[in-house]
Amino acid sequence: MNLVCVGISHHTAPLETRERLWFSDQEVRTALPRAIQTLGTEAVLYSTCNRTELYALAIDPAAAVEPMKQFLLAQKGVAGTVPPEQLFVHTGSDAVDHLFRVASGIDSMVLGDVQILAQVRVGYQTAVEQGTAGLFMNRLFQLASRVGKRARTETTIGEGAVSVSYAAVELAERIFDGLRAKTALVIGAGETAELTAKHLQGREIGKLIVTNRTFEKANALAQNVGGTAVPFDQWMEHLPAVDIVISSVEVSRYVLMAADVARLQKIRRTDGPLFLIDIGVPRNLDPEIRSLENVFLYDLDTLNQMVAENLQKRGEQIPKVESIIGEVLKELVEWYGSLEVNPTIGALTEMMERIRSEELARHINRFEQKDRELAELVTKRIVNKILHSPIVNLRNGHSRPVAERLQRMHAIRELFGLSHGTRNDDDDA
Amino acid sequence: MAPVSVVSPATFRYIREEIKGNPAIFVDIFNIVLPILYFLTVGTYGRAFFSDALWAKQLKTKLLSITVTLHAVYLIARTAAFDHPPVTTIFEIFSVLAFSVAATYLFIEVRSHRKETGYFIINIAFFFQTASSIFIRDINQVPEILRSNLFGIHVTAALLGYAAITIAGAYGFLYLMLYHEMKASRFGVIYKKLPNLETLERMTMTATRMAFVLLGTAIVFGLVWLYHVFSTLYFADPKLIGTVLIWALYGIILAARRSSGWKGRKVMMLSIVGFAVSIFSLTIINIFFSGFHKFY
Repeated sequence: MNLVCVGISHHTAPLETRERLWFSDQEVRTALPRAIQTLGTEAVLYSTCNRTELYALAIDPAAAVEPMKQFLLAQKGVAGTVPPEQLFVHTGSDAVDHLFRVASGIDSMVLGDVQILAQVRVGYQTAVEQGTAGLFMNRLFQLASRVGKRARTETTIGEGAVSVSYAAVELAERIFDGLRAKTALVIGAGETAELTAKHLQGREIGKLIVTNRTFEKANALAQNVGGTAVPFDQWMEHLPAVDIVISSVEVSRYVLMAADVARLQKIRRTDGPLFLIDIGVPRNLDPEIRSLENVFLYDLDTLNQMVAENLQKRGEQIPKVESIIGEVLKELVEWYGSLEVNPTIGALTEMMERIRSEELARHINRFEQKDRELAELVTKRIVNKILHSPIVNLRNGHSRPVAERLQRMHAIRELFGLSHGTRNDDDDA
Repeated sequence: MAPVSVVSPATFRYIREEIKGNPAIFVDIFNIVLPILYFLTVGTYGRAFFSDALWAKQLKTKLLSITVTLHAVYLIARTAAFDHPPVTTIFEIFSVLAFSVAATYLFIEVRSHRKETGYFIINIAFFFQTASSIFIRDINQVPEILRSNLFGIHVTAALLGYAAITIAGAYGFLYLMLYHEMKASRFGVIYKKLPNLETLERMTMTATRMAFVLLGTAIVFGLVWLYHVFSTLYFADPKLIGTVLIWALYGIILAARRSSGWKGRKVMMLSIVGFAVSIFSLTIINIFFSGFHKFY
């Protein structure tokens, strides 16, 4: 297989190197046509915060590796500052395997990351729009998309929260039937509190109240997450209307005692359970609160334990994902072996026949009744004779090198304006 | 009643004609097949819930649909074969109850696309149908007093009420399971698969409200029918006392939740108590006490 992949990722380079090789959407659009001119017949390039990867279909894969490395570095103007050994290389079916691992999330920094598949799809779509994805890349990325989708539906690789802030929101969703009608109080404006508040906002929380000893910080966070800031000495007044409390402040004693919550339960204006998350160290909320009925309290240890268990469970899914990758890789290899000459011949024949029948239909009234059958016969023969040589040459090209066969089919598809099969099958989309 | 809505009148006539020749064999075969079908359905739902088996996820709703349809055919066949609806003995009622629970769950699943609670609900249907299949007797003669429209409404409302009680109890039980798992910070399969606590509570309360209305209807029509048949009211029947107590209990649950703010765990426990008392009323009282609800 003539596929070559050159790239950089969290496996091979630190963040400061990766950010120097990060391509914006516009940079990708500029680089792709240049890649086609210098590297091969088809190319796809995508860039995320954790990886930048260039795939090219090369005439000679071994000879294409160094130029591809230099191309990436030159495009970003970092040829002298980024060591080429920090770039990884995959060729042939290894490159396909790598792409499938990326699309399924098992190569991600956070195992089972759900965003990467969308980013791969965007990269492929950009290449389609720039005209650098042809027959091969279409097939390759449709199958990569299928791998990603199957990994998410047939395994639990993407299930369970793998960050403390997300675990807190996941717990809330196991208690409440949606957060739109709920009110959350965030005590503190630290990093984890902010992340949790953002996740709550992402889940369309009904109302978000933020408080902090430094009111300005509370105000800044509230503006950032679409909430309301309240002074630190007034947050207790808001408790009766609150369903969720996230606490993350540095304190020498608990900010909320079990007795306070017991009293609160009698005067609460909301109907459902009370959900409290204590992510402060030392702890902010009295652990005795846990014993109260219809009150759920979780601390940092519990959340960390959840994250560790979820990561372990995701890790256990890797063999299942690898099995899916193996199946789809086999399908691609078989397709590549046959190169599907027949669809190109079929498309060509169909196009010719369409032109013939349309033209004939337009002029058929000029023929006398007795000559119409003859006209049909003669035009069919002309088309068949025109197509005879290209069809025979395509079929006999099976013994030629793979890249040459692909180039021939590309040439025919380009010359006759045949589509490159950018279909979006339900199972591939 | 529910079976009529599942099978068309033409199908009903066809089944009736088919089994006229030898009703006992036809009904006996179903008697054996139905618990097996429920067992297979429960097993499939269990595999889907506990081990995420893809085949089980794809098969379970289809299997339940087949089981419910065949159960409807069985109830109609039984009605046709013995010339009375299967609601005159406790184990006939068990079969109708199993059908009502399974069909109601299937309806909820298809409407809401929530399939996580099936294993627990269909287990109840499996229990009722198995008990029914083992102990049911074929009765050809039904007292004339039971052939009345008022009696039909009474029985239909009572059965639907019991089905609602069963479902309320089951969802209450699931609520308590998830509640205790979350309180104990255990994040296993129960935590991951069951609907959230608020949804379970809402489903329990919806079923509870339905149970209250249906049981109330059953009691009223039962008393009217009783007066109509015997021209006197007989209040000492243990089943009547039991049902009124259950109805009152459900009224207390609803009133307590509305007025005194009872919610969550306490209300869910009451719904399980209501279910247990209902089954006690339906079985033990029928078996050990005499009264007008014991006809044979």
